[in-house]
Amino acid sequence: MSQAEDATEMDERQWEPSILTFCCNWCSYAGADGAGTARMQYPPNARVIRVMCTGRINPLFIVKGFLAGADMVMVLGCHFGDCHYLKGNYACDMRMSYLKAYLQAIGINPERLYWDQISASEGIKFTETMRNVVAKAKALGPIANEIGAYAHGTRQNRSILGMSVFDACANGAGENGSTTQEIAEDIW
Amino acid sequence: MYYGRATDKLVQEQGECGGVITAVLIAAVEQKLVDGALVIKRGESIYDGAPYFATTKEEITEAAGSLHCAPTLSAKLIKNDFNGARDLRIAVTCKPCDARAIIELSKRNQIDLDNVYMIGVNCGGTMLPGPAREMIRQFFDIDPEDVVKEEIDKGKLIIITKDGQHKELSIDDLEAEGYGRRTNCQRCEYNIPRMADLACGNWGVIGDDAGKVTFVEVRTEKGQKLLDTAIAAGAITLKDAPPQGIALREKLDGIMVKMARKAMATQFAQFDGERKFERLFAQFDKCDGCRECIDVCPICSCVECFTKQEFVVPKDTVPPDPMFHLTRLMHVSPSCVNCGQCENVCPKKIPLATITHMVQSSVQGTLGYVPGQSTADAIPLCKIAEVKA
Repeated sequence: MSQAEDATEMDERQWEPSILTFCCNWCSYAGADGAGTARMQYPPNARVIRVMCTGRINPLFIVKGFLAGADMVMVLGCHFGDCHYLKGNYACDMRMSYLKAYLQAIGINPERLYWDQISASEGIKFTETMRNVVAKAKALGPIANEIGAYAHGTRQNRSILGMSVFDACANGAGENGSTTQEIAEDIW
Repeated sequence: MYYGRATDKLVQEQGECGGVITAVLIAAVEQKLVDGALVIKRGESIYDGAPYFATTKEEITEAAGSLHCAPTLSAKLIKNDFNGARDLRIAVTCKPCDARAIIELSKRNQIDLDNVYMIGVNCGGTMLPGPAREMIRQFFDIDPEDVVKEEIDKGKLIIITKDGQHKELSIDDLEAEGYGRRTNCQRCEYNIPRMADLACGNWGVIGDDAGKVTFVEVRTEKGQKLLDTAIAAGAITLKDAPPQGIALREKLDGIMVKMARKAMATQFAQFDGERKFERLFAQFDKCDGCRECIDVCPICSCVECFTKQEFVVPKDTVPPDPMFHLTRLMHVSPSCVNCGQCENVCPKKIPLATITHMVQSSVQGTLGYVPGQSTADAIPLCKIAEVKA
């Protein structure tokens, strides 16, 4: 519990946005990789989840991300025509425009969802995008401003997409300093 | 577009306005165009209407006449209890929301539309039996069980009692008091069932014919087949509708649509503004998770419900995880036909239909999809298969 209180105190002093990022395996994840290997500097706020294709992203994953405390969700896919599975990014594009209208309707600012296309060679674009999005997230403020206590997952309480590492974190596992906690701290 | 009238005297009397629908149903069943007719049959009183599968002339005649306090929905019934009309042919009387729900289910391969003959009836709204009784006691000051007939016409609710008294009150006034039509009906923009095979009703009947004939509009080939069968059997007579009648019908429709838009604006306004999410969840958190809304919803037809996946909605919490409602909203709202069933069955009286309709009005612009209009336009989020690659 004390850990949670610490986190709140820290939040008040210096809030850093957490940005849930979905990257497509074939383009933008490789782009992020490229940025990393080239030692380009970019803000560390993104938590990247690799998916095989942006077409695999169920819009509800993104909604769940917001409920889990992500201040912004970023979806990065291939350019049109570059999709490894031919039309997965078209599907994603359509879902994202639908999702924005949906978010608006349920009272979450659609600006909190960012959808862009980054190819495997665009490491520079990746770092630039990351900087812009972090700036935008800071301007938008914490998600809790919009969904209040429903953003349970603000760091501790909830899992994102039921992933076990976050679950373990949520249950306070590793208060005795186990590896899970270390991993979780690294990620969060 | 025609004025129609049944030839049989009994059917004329039993029917609402000339008995065309009853006569068409009887002809369709007797000429073996369909195996039976799914109709709403009156029970003990005017507040008691239940779906009934009629297969003989007598049964259909018994079900003649309209009921405004029987907000049933036949679409899910056809899917669940008639195996989606895959192995029998059904003629069904539809409100516009019934017809839209049937079309939406047929797009999801849950109903075989080739075997369903939809006879649409104009609908200005329906009332829930309970509140209707209370309203009649309170505003008309008569015993609700004495009412033998009710009618919604020209913005008025008209009731006729056992001893022949006519009483009428403006629906607007009743609705201002929280009574009157169901809230989803107040918002409904589809009063003429143009998506059905036949669109019938009393709107647009003028002059001496008023109250004696039914306005019939043929919308599809199947509708034409129904009418042809009835004419061949000598069950109905038709004459062309006068242009003034057609214009009047359009005008009435226009007035109803305007009223609906107004109702939408006022009803959606309760959620608008600051902290919308939390205000929506002030309603949703009343939920017990009984899943009744999913059972009745004509759009929910997945074999494996996404909300049953534990990684989306953790099991056995009350109220259910917010993802339950958010999933439902996301899945249903693009195709919601605003039938109001979810709201009616909800034991906690959560305004589910209102919220779903509100989300729909927001996403409709992006999707460019109006549910339940025709089988030609694909379900929006399934369109991807057609995208150029």
